[in-house]
This record gives sequence, C-alpha cells and structure tokens, in this order.
Amino acid sequence: MSKGYHIVVCGGIVPDPLQRLEPVSTPSGPALRNEMMLPAVLDPWAASALYEAAALAKKMPESKVWLVAAGPKAKLQQVMMVTGQKVPFELVAIDAPAGGFTESFAVAGLLAAAIKSIPGLDYSRLLVFGGWESASRGAGSTLQAVGELLEISAQFQGVDELAVAEDGSFTVLERVEGGRHQVSKCSAAPAVLGWATGNLAEPPNNPQVGMANMRAIMPALQKAKAEKLSAEGLSFQHVALPAEQRETRIVKDTPVDVIANEIVDWLRGAN
Amino acid sequence: MSVDSTAEQNRQTMEADIVCVGFGPAAGGFLTELTRELAQDGGATLQSSVMPGMPLQVICYERADDVGFGVSGVVSRARAIRTSFPELNPADVPMAAEVSHEEVLYLLDPGKASRRSALVRFADTALRLLGPVLPLKDHAFKLPYIPPFLRKEPGLTFSLGQFTQWAAGQVMGSGMAQIWPGMPVAAPLFEGERVCGVRLLDQGTDLSGAPGDGYMPGMDIRAALTVVADGPVGAVGQALNRKFGLPPGNEQFEWAVGAKMVVELAPGSGLKPGTVLHTFGYPEPEIFGFLYVHPDNLASLGIFVPSTFGSPARTSYRYLQQWMKHPALAGYLAGAELRSWGAKSLLESGRRGEPYLAGDGYARIGEGSGSTNMLTGSGVDEAWATGVQLAQAVCELVRAGKPFTKANLEAAYVKRRRESWVEQEGRIAEKARDGFASGFSAGMLGMALAGFSKGRLGWPVKLKPPHERLQSLEQFYAGRISSVEIERIRRESRERGEPLHDALMDRVGFEPIALDGKLFVSLQDALLVGGKVQAAHGYANHVVFTHPEVCSDCGDKLCIEVCSGQAIYPGVNGVPAFDREKCVHCGACLWNCSRPGPDKTRLGNIDFRSGSGGLHSSQN
Amino acid sequence: MERVLFLGHTGENGELGRAALEALHAAAGLAEELGCAFDAGLVGADVQKAANNIGSCGASSFFAVSGVDFAEARYGSDVLAAEALCRKSGATIVIAAGTSRWMRVLAGAALRLGGRIDTHATALGAGQGAVSISRWYYRQRMEAQLSRAVRPWIIVLEPGSAPAWQGEEKAAALVDVPVEVTDAAKRTSFAGYRAPQASEQTIRPDAELLFVAGAGWTKKQADGNIHIEEASKLILDFMHKSNASLGSSKSLVDLQGEGQAVLPFLTHLNQIGQTGATPRHAKGFATCCHGEEPHVVGWRFINERRAVNTNPNCGWAQGKADVLYVADAFAVMAKVNELLS
Repeated sequence: MSKGYHIVVCGGIVPDPLQRLEPVSTPSGPALRNEMMLPAVLDPWAASALYEAAALAKKMPESKVWLVAAGPKAKLQQVMMVTGQKVPFELVAIDAPAGGFTESFAVAGLLAAAIKSIPGLDYSRLLVFGGWESASRGAGSTLQAVGELLEISAQFQGVDELAVAEDGSFTVLERVEGGRHQVSKCSAAPAVLGWATGNLAEPPNNPQVGMANMRAIMPALQKAKAEKLSAEGLSFQHVALPAEQRETRIVKDTPVDVIANEIVDWLRGAN
Repeated sequence: MSVDSTAEQNRQTMEADIVCVGFGPAAGGFLTELTRELAQDGGATLQSSVMPGMPLQVICYERADDVGFGVSGVVSRARAIRTSFPELNPADVPMAAEVSHEEVLYLLDPGKASRRSALVRFADTALRLLGPVLPLKDHAFKLPYIPPFLRKEPGLTFSLGQFTQWAAGQVMGSGMAQIWPGMPVAAPLFEGERVCGVRLLDQGTDLSGAPGDGYMPGMDIRAALTVVADGPVGAVGQALNRKFGLPPGNEQFEWAVGAKMVVELAPGSGLKPGTVLHTFGYPEPEIFGFLYVHPDNLASLGIFVPSTFGSPARTSYRYLQQWMKHPALAGYLAGAELRSWGAKSLLESGRRGEPYLAGDGYARIGEGSGSTNMLTGSGVDEAWATGVQLAQAVCELVRAGKPFTKANLEAAYVKRRRESWVEQEGRIAEKARDGFASGFSAGMLGMALAGFSKGRLGWPVKLKPPHERLQSLEQFYAGRISSVEIERIRRESRERGEPLHDALMDRVGFEPIALDGKLFVSLQDALLVGGKVQAAHGYANHVVFTHPEVCSDCGDKLCIEVCSGQAIYPGVNGVPAFDREKCVHCGACLWNCSRPGPDKTRLGNIDFRSGSGGLHSSQN
Repeated sequence: MERVLFLGHTGENGELGRAALEALHAAAGLAEELGCAFDAGLVGADVQKAANNIGSCGASSFFAVSGVDFAEARYGSDVLAAEALCRKSGATIVIAAGTSRWMRVLAGAALRLGGRIDTHATALGAGQGAVSISRWYYRQRMEAQLSRAVRPWIIVLEPGSAPAWQGEEKAAALVDVPVEVTDAAKRTSFAGYRAPQASEQTIRPDAELLFVAGAGWTKKQADGNIHIEEASKLILDFMHKSNASLGSSKSLVDLQGEGQAVLPFLTHLNQIGQTGATPRHAKGFATCCHGEEPHVVGWRFINERRAVNTNPNCGWAQGKADVLYVADAFAVMAKVNELLS
C-alpha cells in the first residue's frame, strides 16, 4: 500500500470513572449532579482507539490522525491538556453537551458533519475509529450511525486488533460471546472500527507531542461552533441509581479452616 | 553501552523562554498577568528569543494528573485575586461565595480524652462555670470578638481546585501559555550557579527508577527563566534550597498537615453559603479547624495538625473525624455526605521560611517562597500576589532587554514584593506562631501579641527542626498511659498490622469512630471514595528512605503513623515500605521523620521527590 | 397501533441462543400487553429449524433472510437483513437480544429506517398503553425509564433480563424476504474464531460462579514480598476445581499492559466492572478486591455474593456482598482448594 490511512477517531469526554455519579433532573432532561465540576477524561475506549490510530499511523507512512471530539468547550480544552500529550493528532472540536443522556443519533449527526468538513479527507483511505461504547451513554450505537451517514458498510465493533496486510486488506479481531474473538478480513478502507481496549498501553506523556498538538488544538477550540443536540420524541420518566443495599454479614477473627469450609459449602449449594 | 549513557543520548531537549513549575495559585497569578500582557502586546515588545518573531514562549508543567486536583477549600480576602479580576462574579466560579458570616469557636473537650495542660483545664472549667452568661453552646465558646487580623470579610469562600481550574481555563484560552498537567518536573537544571531550565521526570521506569518497557527519559526544558511555583514540598524548590541554602536567619521548621474534606450538607443544615467557622481547642488544643460553606449545600472542612504538636503517633485523618464529631459541628454535619477528601502540607514558617526569591535564571513564588501568612491564616491570595508581581517584573525586564539575572530579578521582582502588602503583613506575622513551640497557651498568647502589636512583639523562643521537638510516646502520654501499657499497645498494634495512633486514641478516651459509609468512612475508602487516588504506572517511587540503616534503628516510625494515605507501611528489616498507589502527595513524610537526615540536606531521612498521580478530585 | 417484531439470528448450531429466546419472550409479552400483532424475523444460513423451534410462539408471520451470505456475522449483510425484515413486517417496535451480532448492526439499521434505538434495555412494558423501557446509562451505574415517540423503535435487550421463551416445537411457514447483498457489502469476509491465547479458557459465561481476582493478589503480602506464582497456582487450581468463570478488576488488567507483576493468565477479556464486562452468574466470589469496580459495577448481575478481604471496613464489600470474610485470601483459597479436591 503506497499511501497510509486517514484515520478519524471519534472520542467524547466522560467523567473520570472513579468519580461518584448521581443523576439529577433539569428542565432539559436528566443530567449529572455537579456535571461541570467532575473531572473529565477522554472516553476510555475512545482513548484506546486513539492510541491504536496513532500506532497504525506511525507504521503506515503518509497516514494522518484526526480526533473529532464533542463536549463543552471549557471541558474539552481541559481534557486536551492531558490527551494532547499522548500521541500526535489534529483536533476537530465540537462545542456541544457531552452528557450520557444525549441522543446517540444526534451526536452521530454532529460527528459525521464534522468529519465531512475535514479538508482533504480521502474516503478511499478513511478509517473511522471510536470506542465500541462510551462510558457515559454506554449504548454502542453512535459509531454505526456515523458510519451509515458516511455510507461506510464495513463496520466492526468490540475490536481488539487490526492487522494490515501488504495489499491494503486488513484483519480485524472483534469480541464476541464466550470470551472469543471473531476474525474478519476486509479488502480495503473505508471502514468503521469501534474499539474495545486493544492491546496498547497508555502512551507516556510527551512534551514535544503536546507542543506540536497544541498549535492546532487551541485554534480548533476557538473555531468550535456551539451546537445543540435534539432529542425528538424522547422522554425520560425517571433516572436513578440502582438502590441495592445488602445486609452484609462480616465474618472475622475466624480460623481459616472454618471460613474455607463455609465457602465450600456455599459453593456446593449447601447453604 | 550502558543504559545510562543510552538514556542520556535519548534524552531530548526543548527550548522555551519561560518554564513554570507547578500550577497552583502562584502560577495562576503569574500566568494570568503574563498572558494578558502578552495578548495585549501581540509580540511587539515581549518577543521570544527561542522563536524570534513570536511572543514569549511560556510553558507550565503541573505534577498532578489535572490542574486543581487535591487542593483545598479556602476563605480569602481575595485582594490580589480581585485586583486581577475586578469584575469577578463569584457565581462564575463553581463553589465560590461571598463571605457572609464568621465565627471563631473555642472547642471544649466534651469528654476527657484531649491532652490539656493545667492552664487550659483551668480555663475550660472557668468557661463552663460561666456558661450561663457566656456564648457557650454545644461545648464550644464563640469568641465575641474576632481580631481584625483574623477577619475575612469582605472575602470569598471557594474551592481552590475549582478556582484553579477556572483560572487555568482562562490562561489556556488566551493561547499565550501552555499548561501541561500530569507532567512532574524532576529537578532544576544548573549551569554552575545559574538555573537554565528543568528536567522532567523519567517515564517507563520501574519503581526504583530503572528503565523498563517504554522508557522515555524525562525531557530537558531549557529556558531563560525558570519560575518555581511547586509549593512547599515541591522537588525543584527543595533542590534549590539544598543547593543555595536559605538566607541567614531563615529556616523552614514550622509545618502543618491539613486534612480536609468537601461534604454535601443535608438540607436544613442551617448553614448559609459564605459562612466561615474557625475552631481551636479540640481534638487537641493546638489543632485548628475550619468549615467554609459554599453554594449548593457544599462545605469544605478540615483541620491542621502542626509540627509543634509533639506526639510521635499523630494522625490527621482520625483527628479530623474526631473533630467532626464535636457537638459544635456534629449538628451541622448530621446527614452530610463525603464528596471529596485530601491532605496537604503547609509551610507554616511563612516569611521566616523564605528562601532566596531569585537567582540567575530563576525566581520563586507562592507558598514555597514563604508567602503564607500564619497570623491571618491566609496563603492563596498572597501566593497569587507574588505570581502577579513576578509577571510584572518579567515584562519589565523583557521590555528593557535585560536578562533574567539575580540582580535584575531582585531589582524588578523582589523589590516589588518587598514593597507590597504581602511582605509587610508577612513581617508582622513572622513570629506569630513562635509561642506554639512552648505549648498551646503560649502559642495563643504569642499570636495575640504579634497580631495586636503588628509584629513588634512575639513569644521569645528558639525554634528547632521538627525532629528535635518530638517527644517519645512515654513522654507524650506521661500520667495517662503507663510505659508498660504503651509497650503492650505498641506490640499489639504491630502484630495486628494496625496503626498505633488509633489504639492510643481509643485508650485515652476518644470515642471510636463508627463508620457509616457516608460521612465517616475508613481511610482506605476515603482514598477511593473521596480522593479517588490513582497512580499511573511507569514512574519511580517518589518517597525514598535515603539511609535505610537509619530507619532500621528507628523505633518511632512516625512516617508510618503520620502518612495521610497509609501509603507508608512497615517493611523489611525495619525499613518502611511505600505504596505509591495510595500516596496523596501531602508531603507530610518530608517533615515528619524523627531522625535527622545524615547528609544534613534534608529535614529527615526521607527524600520526597517529584512523582506522578495522587488525588483525582477537583472539588477540594 | 403498534406492531412488534422479534429479531433473531441463529447460532453456530443453527438454533436461536438463549439470549434470543429471552428477547422473544419479551417481544411476545409486550405484544400481548399491547394487544397487537407480532412477527418473528430470523437471519442465518438456514433458519427453518430455528423457526420450528419457536413455531408456537404466536407470531403472525415468520420472516426469514437466509442463505450463505447470512451464515456469519458481518455488518454489510446483517444490516441489510435487519432493515429488510423490519420493512417487511412494518413493525413499530423491534426487539432483539444484545448479542455481539445484533449490537454490531442494529444501530445502523435503525438509522436506515429513520427510527431510533436503545440498547442495554433490562425491562420493557406498556403501562397505560405507552411502551417504555428501562435501560442502563453510565456503564450500569444509572438506570433510566424512558419512552419514545419516533418509530420504528429498536430495543436491544440485555441478555439475562427476561426469562427465555419456552414452547412446543411447531412447523413454521417461513416467508422469505429477499435481500440482495452487493459486492460492496461483502468487502468483509468471516475468517473464523480465535480463543484467547492464554493457556486456560477462563471465561465461562454459563458457569454458575464468577470468581473475581482483585489486585490484592499481586500486592505485597504480610512478609513484604509479592507472591505471583503462588497466587497464580491457587487461582488456577480453584478454576479447575470449581469450573468458575474468571473475572478481574480493572487495575489488575491494566497492569498487564505496563509490564508490572500480574497474574499471567489474565487478559482484557477477563476484566469486569466499569470498563469491562458486567457478567451474569448465580454466584460471585471476590478475593482481594477493594474498590468500586468489582463490587459495585461488575457485580450488578450476580445473585449471591461473597468476598474475602483483609479489610473489615471495606466500604465497597459492605452493603454489596452477602458475606465478607475478613481473612488472608492466600490461606483461605489454599484450604478451599484442598477441600474441593
């Protein structure tokens, strides 16, 4: 393959997974309590996709990586201060709500429009990456819609590995039931790949990458247009934390043999 | 080829005009002022020397994983902050409110657990006897008069985390400076006596710092000016102190560890936004407490455990919980839930602990530069002010074409600082805390003397480094627990692998803390629930026991007892072990070692280096 | 008037899997509640056997998209099949199981149909004549009840959320729905399955027990040392003896990518919790776990839960586990293995 890929990574921002999340009702629908105060990160699966994209671009000369990210501008800027140090990319920013209760198809519409507006994007070399689900909406339905809007019918979800052959075809490993991977071969780009975790560790923070990225990140953020997301016909009756509290029996100061016997009895269904 | 030489070959270098270490309130003031000047200037007079034709190239590296992680609730008169933002509307900054009500409470001991001197006991008895005619309620005496030096009105209560994020957003949005969180700075770079930039921390190492998979040597950032704003326990500030020492007569012996929380108050707590409560007297007389109320039923609260408190088995977390149980506070906190938790060291030496503020190629701002005022209990605004002063000085020097030499920085920056209210008030406060070295009563008297005499009077005392002040457990609990019993408790705690301080506090009568999973949680859960503590892999341990043989001979192990995250724990051959995944980077171990550092360059036998990770909460 | 369509695809044995039968149960129940007709739409190489298996389910029609192009999961052909079945049925509500095959394509089909989709639904009903569902947000941390006005509405049901449909086998009259699969849609070809490279097959979705190995196994123990080999042996021994499925906490899996000391047989696929799976098992047994990941998120669908942990104040296990044993997991598991022998 003479030319590399044009890889567009779709990645939203989500609250740091360790934060306590609570829903609240607002006039515009459900939201998170203190949503703007919660530290945000690039969606973990989308982050895997971004690292995979960067690794692929490094292997394939003449490749280029874009990150198309939607979120409130101030939050997006903050996340980019961290993400921007990881791998080289060009940001395409969309100033829009990033909460989990937004409509996946509305988000997909914004993402697809943003991708279509990237100057010089070569569809014959296009790989659209993203997380197979977000840690916010957690639906796994955005990326497929982006692919449809871009008329891409080679799509993969739960991807852990992408291997490119000499002839430009590639093999994809997708997570399926039973702890297995489905292996598929695809003849050529364009394709949509929703990544699971992949196999790459989080890259170290690289100050030079940060400096290079930031030259385009700040202008991209300044250019970002404020967009609204529609939720036509969707009504939430309620949103709640699962209120499950168990009576925990605590067994301590008990000999190991006694504990082990009790566990084995339980495993065997005796109690 | 050795790994080291390969590493040196792979070590990259980047050039900037100004590199700033740490992003707290001092760097916030510095970068806010500087980026405004740069934006107005448009590169006309503030030109870069490394990228000719461009404005000054300014980079700031922050150690924590994001800006505003793990700092504290604050009340401040916010004079300097309001000068930078004259139109500041508290509603624009999450959790900010105008101070609406202030109280100072002296907390009596509701039980008999607190260690109170005869004088204090006498005062307590007198207060209780006069209770019917005094503002005494819930075992607390409300001071009828708040001295002017303690008053915060008109001021703001806010979350330093949220404010810092807000300020960082403004700076980044200007496009005139870059702030990079998650990038610890390992050390300053020296060329002789001149600082010529900083070295970032190596990544992809094992816990000892040896290169592993994905090794990336920390980059050298060379800059004409290094702005040191990494706080009192920052690695760069410490390295400068070691190299240059402190000016004659100055020392950094006074410290405190602040343990704090952000809680969500139950509806109907009776506390209005902007309420400020300060306390002293309980759980031990010398432990100060605070509670600041933010909008939306949020409150910051916490305590300070000072280095003058002589117990060799002190714990800020248990004391914080004990303080929250005091009847004067428990009512407000009924039904409250923990949202965030953290801890931090404060350099309480203030002006007395001032290092050299400038040298060739560097300048120091903020708490690590001795700007905190311990009479007024104020540090954030002072730190911000020093940052603004440096930014003004930098612009003056660049416009005049003068290099960042010690002499030029002293003429432009240090002079500004000396002429400012930060210096004047810092001088008044200089001896305000000295009395605490002689005990709680002397401490309070000393503060009053300094405050009312505007610094002319103070408690006469010769200050000692923290390790020289420590008492033995037997001395500390003399008359309350026998040495035989102390030995038994010590042995049992060791066998159970449980902290000694909890057992001792239980023994002297502090009510054991019943955990409710909401406000009162175990320290380990506070790390997870409140602090959300994380540590990325691929970095070396940042707490290092420099001379293991000293640790082996040490019977106190104060570092283990005092560790805010239980990250330091008993190790092999008596040398404590360190788990960086629990470290909240409070830095208390730096000044809570009971053995002097054999090489005399540190407060104790512990090297607190630059490290990654820590708290992931920005509500603090 | 609503019309319900159940969508199913065959598995490797040519039959519908358990998750599909659960979705069928939910679809038939909803149609009954609404008093409306429902159809079945099946996809696979040959779906007659699957159709006969559910022949008595009450579906008005059994629509089929079948043939070699539909033998294996592939976006290009499956999305055409789903779209064609929905159009043929004219259904307003489409119910399918959250299998990897349907999760891959149904969002695309919904977009083609001008409809909407919800996934990870755990319950559905038609109170007061309006269809509403419960589904998860924020990775199983919040549950919402919602309804939609836009049709068709594709609802993807989380496996394990409904009883499986049971009924007599009956010859079903299939209505073939022709679908032309263009070359463009066939750019992807199926090339088999790959099991994890680990020597052990440790993920067993059908196991009664989920055994969760927390990060504590790889931490320093009381003697100040790490005992990875001993931990590995204890866990693998237990897996052999109990036939459990193995889950791990996030931190343990992440360590692997960082070259840290880890249990060698764990992969990303074992991960449960916030960024991993939320498996369904009758029993869950957590060892050396501390933190929200395993207990709160990863355990959401575990019925009986027990934990071994050295911290009696572990706020995560308390209120989440039925029994918390405060003990050294190394010692407990060694004895458990001995007893299971």
